[in-house]
Amino acid sequence: MSERVDERGIPVPPRVGARDPVVTVVSLTKRYGDLVAVDDLTFSLHAGTVTGFLGPNGAGKTTTLRLLLGLAEPTAGEALVFGRRYRELDDPARLVGAVLESSDFHPGRSGRDHLRALALAAQIPPGRVEEVLALVELGAAADRRVKTYSLGMRQRLGLAAALLGDPELLVLDEPANGLDPAGVHWLRRFLRWFAEHGRTVLVSSHMLAEATQTVDQVVIIDRGRQVASGRLDELTERGRTLEDVFLELTGGTA
Amino acid sequence: MKALFRAELLKQRSTRTGLGLFAAMLGLVVLAVLLHGFGLAAEDLGGTHVQLMVLGRGEFLAALFAALLGAMSITAEIRHGTIRATFLITPRRGRVVAAKVLVSILVGTGFGLVAGAVAVAAGTAALRARGIDLQLDEGDYVLLVVGAAGAAALWAAIGVGVGALARNQVPTLIGICAWLLFVEGLLAGDVADNLGDIGRLLPGAAAAAVSGQDPGTLLVPAVGLVLLVLYAAAAALAGALALSRRDVG
Repeated sequence: MSERVDERGIPVPPRVGARDPVVTVVSLTKRYGDLVAVDDLTFSLHAGTVTGFLGPNGAGKTTTLRLLLGLAEPTAGEALVFGRRYRELDDPARLVGAVLESSDFHPGRSGRDHLRALALAAQIPPGRVEEVLALVELGAAADRRVKTYSLGMRQRLGLAAALLGDPELLVLDEPANGLDPAGVHWLRRFLRWFAEHGRTVLVSSHMLAEATQTVDQVVIIDRGRQVASGRLDELTERGRTLEDVFLELTGGTA
Repeated sequence: MKALFRAELLKQRSTRTGLGLFAAMLGLVVLAVLLHGFGLAAEDLGGTHVQLMVLGRGEFLAALFAALLGAMSITAEIRHGTIRATFLITPRRGRVVAAKVLVSILVGTGFGLVAGAVAVAAGTAALRARGIDLQLDEGDYVLLVVGAAGAAALWAAIGVGVGALARNQVPTLIGICAWLLFVEGLLAGDVADNLGDIGRLLPGAAAAAVSGQDPGTLLVPAVGLVLLVLYAAAAALAGALALSRRDVG
């Protein structure tokens, strides 16, 4: 294959194509003093998939997501989105949307103003704020201060913020927490719809039953180390449930 | 940068924090000026220096509250976790700090103009009511108001820098109050005789100098302004660097 060059004869890096991984994690490691929170993780995700990022509490899921999103710096290895470090993306809101904590709001600010401020910073037209509010069914509560919101409403506001830029990759940390059964059902259908349109979802969870119904593939970690990864149907063949696999790998008792 | 400025301005306007700080500042300006104006003995209030000090309470409180406002623009984001969404949208964190500095300077200028004007109005009214001759001329009044605006604007920037360095909201706010209300006084006062006259080079004293207070002892206004600009630039730069290098919890 011939290398493309620009008018000055300098090689042009190939455009990220559909076959390139959306997320590439290579030997990712994060230490806090003596504690190894994330230990040599390697995996990649491709477009059109929903990946469950599973592990017991404290396994390092949240830390990994923060490394991926440029909020924390790895001790070793790298985490790339669309082939680049998150902090080097030019317009990250249009590529990646993320919900990390259900409580990440100023309690005295309205939901609409929260989204408007983010939209201004990302140079997203104000009409998109109304679209995402309608999408997560928060329109009627949008002018109330967030302190009056239920946990489920906060989760949906976080999701609305993540969707502002109409991103290609959605990263969600325990999104089902605080959602009622209708909310969980809605979220599951939304994530499937999102992936079916060629986009990518990485969703951390310790709720296995829920994960089984939503994800195509899983990455399971325990105490910072990757203990399994692969397609859900391959991991659960021969009649084993995801719970069996998970408990066996993470040393829990079945 | 313009988009980030507008985003930060909306964040500032969409909570009651700014309004609360403004109201508290205004109440304290009126209280401080009237207590001095009516509390001090008439013979003590006759001199230029004392009159400048009384009317200068506007500058002092504007600088303090603008610093708190600037600091909270960053520590509140860290406290409530909105910093995560902010940095996801704008991963170049130095630009976020720069936008916060610009918005805080704008709001701080407003705090200073209002506090300076209210202090001048309340102070002159109090002195007139007691039949005390005002020793100040037009230039003094202009400097008290404009200087308060400059002092508050630059202290707002210092506040952003300190907030970005310290990150934890309550210690940051206590630290700013302690510095302006107590530590500078110690360093400039009798207990620090061996320190020479470093007292007038400290950022709070430089802010007072900008509004023309304590002439002869403090720096002349223009030099005070230059020094305060340097403090503000150093604080903002240090804050931006520190915030760019540290992990967000």
